[in-house]
Amino acid sequence: MTTLSFPKTARPALALLGLGLGVAGCQPKLDAANPSPSANGLDFTSYVAVGNSLTSGYTDGGLYNEGQATSYPAILAQQFAKTGKGPANFVQPAFSSTKKDGSGYIKLQVVNGALAPVVPSAANNYLSEQLAVTGNALPGGPQLEAYSGNQPDNLGVPGISVLSSVSSLTGGLAPYGLINPFYERLLTPAEKPTKDYVTYIGQKSATFFTCWMGNNDVLAYATAGGVVQPTNPFGDLTDTTRFGIGYRAIVGTISKGGTVKGAVANIPNVTSVPYFNTVTVAAVAAAFKAANAASPGVFIQTGTAAAPVVRLATSADLLTLTAQPLVAAGAGSLPSNPVPNQYVLDATEIASVTARTTQLNNIIAKTAQRFKVPVVDANSFLTRLANSGIATNAVNNTATFASGNAFGLDGVHPSPRGYAIIANEWIRVINNYYGSTVPQVDPNLYRGVLLP
Amino acid sequence: MQAKSILLTGGALLAATSGALASGFQVGLTGAKNVGMGGTGTGLYLDQASQFFNPGAFAFAPTGFQVGGNMAIPRISFRPGDADSGQRTLQNTNVFPFSGFVGFGPKEGKWRLGAGVYTPFGSELHYQQGWEGRYALTDINLRSVFGQVTAAYAITPQFSIGAGVTTLLYGDVDLQRDIPVQAQGSTSPAHAQLTGKADHKVGYNLGVMFKPSEKLSVGLSYRSAVDAHVSGGDIALTGIPASAAGSFTAKSFDVTLPLPDVYSFGIGVRPNDKLTLAFDANLVGWSRYQSLDFTYSGGVLGGNASSSSKRQYQDALAFRVGAQYKVTDGFSLRAGTFYDMACVRDGFVTPETPDADRIGFTAGIGYEFAQRFGIDASFLFEDFMKRSQSQDDLISNGTTDRVAGTYKTTIAVPGVQLYVKF
Repeated sequence: MTTLSFPKTARPALALLGLGLGVAGCQPKLDAANPSPSANGLDFTSYVAVGNSLTSGYTDGGLYNEGQATSYPAILAQQFAKTGKGPANFVQPAFSSTKKDGSGYIKLQVVNGALAPVVPSAANNYLSEQLAVTGNALPGGPQLEAYSGNQPDNLGVPGISVLSSVSSLTGGLAPYGLINPFYERLLTPAEKPTKDYVTYIGQKSATFFTCWMGNNDVLAYATAGGVVQPTNPFGDLTDTTRFGIGYRAIVGTISKGGTVKGAVANIPNVTSVPYFNTVTVAAVAAAFKAANAASPGVFIQTGTAAAPVVRLATSADLLTLTAQPLVAAGAGSLPSNPVPNQYVLDATEIASVTARTTQLNNIIAKTAQRFKVPVVDANSFLTRLANSGIATNAVNNTATFASGNAFGLDGVHPSPRGYAIIANEWIRVINNYYGSTVPQVDPNLYRGVLLP
Repeated sequence: MQAKSILLTGGALLAATSGALASGFQVGLTGAKNVGMGGTGTGLYLDQASQFFNPGAFAFAPTGFQVGGNMAIPRISFRPGDADSGQRTLQNTNVFPFSGFVGFGPKEGKWRLGAGVYTPFGSELHYQQGWEGRYALTDINLRSVFGQVTAAYAITPQFSIGAGVTTLLYGDVDLQRDIPVQAQGSTSPAHAQLTGKADHKVGYNLGVMFKPSEKLSVGLSYRSAVDAHVSGGDIALTGIPASAAGSFTAKSFDVTLPLPDVYSFGIGVRPNDKLTLAFDANLVGWSRYQSLDFTYSGGVLGGNASSSSKRQYQDALAFRVGAQYKVTDGFSLRAGTFYDMACVRDGFVTPETPDADRIGFTAGIGYEFAQRFGIDASFLFEDFMKRSQSQDDLISNGTTDRVAGTYKTTIAVPGVQLYVKF
């Protein structure tokens, strides 16, 4: 073929082609349209988180460094920092690196051919975890390695309730620093018998706070199947009067009387967690029927310790996740061997838990209004998670035990994925209320349940 | 095909594989002359590519042989809806669609017989490592070759008809995504790769042309729908935790992708010897594509024996304008533009098909010597409108199997074609 020579008139066309090729190499830019992170006047430089196990990052039945690192306050602090008004360093009460597994945590293992959550114990060499237990015992569990750093910014204490936060509510008779190992480890020896939680959080000078309290004022009762141990002053449903006094004291303290901005979350419906929906009456009844065609169903013990009642369970009764090994061993198959009371949240108990949760949430809403902070409606949010799941970037997260990915292996506390989803809900509410544009996080970057 | 198909393919799995893919299909990367003129061709009879655009017009086309190739250069950016991880991009990969046609018949005669091979696209998208949508799609690679045999007959010097039989000669797909299941001690989730070859499928196209004078020609054409089908494709899984193996036992998959039919109307106007103007409108029957359904055999995938993902495409229109100007007897300049409407509804955009309304600009040059041999070059640039969907959109549509965010795409396609007239 001869060399092509283009006439002069072709030059514009050739130039156009060249221009086009240049354009082709350009990546389209989208960043400009993204709202840049802004605090809109909020000051996150001293962000303080008040709360219980949910705030501490407790997951898989334990408090340990990996869980703390993915607590929702840690995620919030990380996202707040992207506004340029965030904390330079958000301090959490981590365990020392050689004791990073803290109180120990449940793992999924294959036991007798089936997946089962396995709790660390002496019998299984604590699953080779690096625990931070001292060997001493407190009323609330094994004593843990003391935390020696400055007062943390994440003040979440697993197990704490509104009732146990203010010592005057129990007449000063139950010093919480001598009971709860997660609180005890944060205090000096002198503070342990005297300093209650509301005083402890009053030591902080927050510029922004979150507060998620009240769960244990109903949860302790619920997870114990409505059985209150006489030795535990905090095991019953907290009454509304003392809850109101305590809750106002907590929010009033951390908000400095409503002058510090922040947000609070209310109490989820505890019966929506996998702890109460994994071992179901229907499934256990079916298993009994398979073993014995004449089985009439599942026998449960209800009523009080003084006047126990044994009856057949209905679908309105909930069995706890911890009932699994018992029913596997035959508990509930005969009237003489019912599922014990503390593994059953019966319909009456459910009704009282639900009613009390609603009452306490009304107090939370009014208190938030008084101190001018928004409420994260964790109750609706976790109900939505349980009912329809919450999809994050093409992954559906549900309240199904283990495979749902949103809850850890204790069936009550979220997984790191679940905490990230909750952090996004906090961010959404904060942005809505304050007009800030704190960016959300991709929850899929945080693990769900890891399988063997 | 064209640009849109290129993307579609991505998205639609086999979508791209068919000649009839996208609303943009009329542009086709078949025929560099047509590409340079905005993808018009239904009302023209320029060359052998008429077999594709309007087999009726083929009766008036010169006989000859032509072969051409393109390099499609897509650029896709994605920004997640709420999270802050900034802009994601593709690991950009170019694809190389080609086409070739031959047409025989008496020089001034009434009939033509022809055959052609074309790859309406061949799509390859590789999203950035670890991107937000990795549980929807990480990679897709589609290739296809279509063949066609065509016959056309001019009933009168003003009126002609034609028909073609089209066949999906070869098609394969490689679709990959991450699975939200992770093993203890592993830092990455499980991953699935689905690969398979498409069955041969036969379709047809029909066309008529009315040419009342040398200055005016009007064409109508129809291309049939085809169901692209992969049977017994392979499933390869990595990183599945041992304890979850029972939920991932499937060995193979079947999938059917309904490809749309296309109605086209075109006008060609030649006010003088040098200038040709063309207008085309296309209606692409994308509404056939309501869902992407996989069935698994040999076991289950993720605990399910099948999966279904909503598509709910809508029929799409495209409008095209093009011109050719003969500067000299041998040398021609071409230009065109088109507006192509999205077939993917709001809230249904998937990473495989980040579809959007788009505008295209084209240019081309042609050089012919000895009245027999020639070369055509074309360039096409498509600019997609920015397309956003929120998580709330996805929830209300039941389409949470994809990601919320904003997509922006541009595509550039240089192409070249050689021909000889008999």
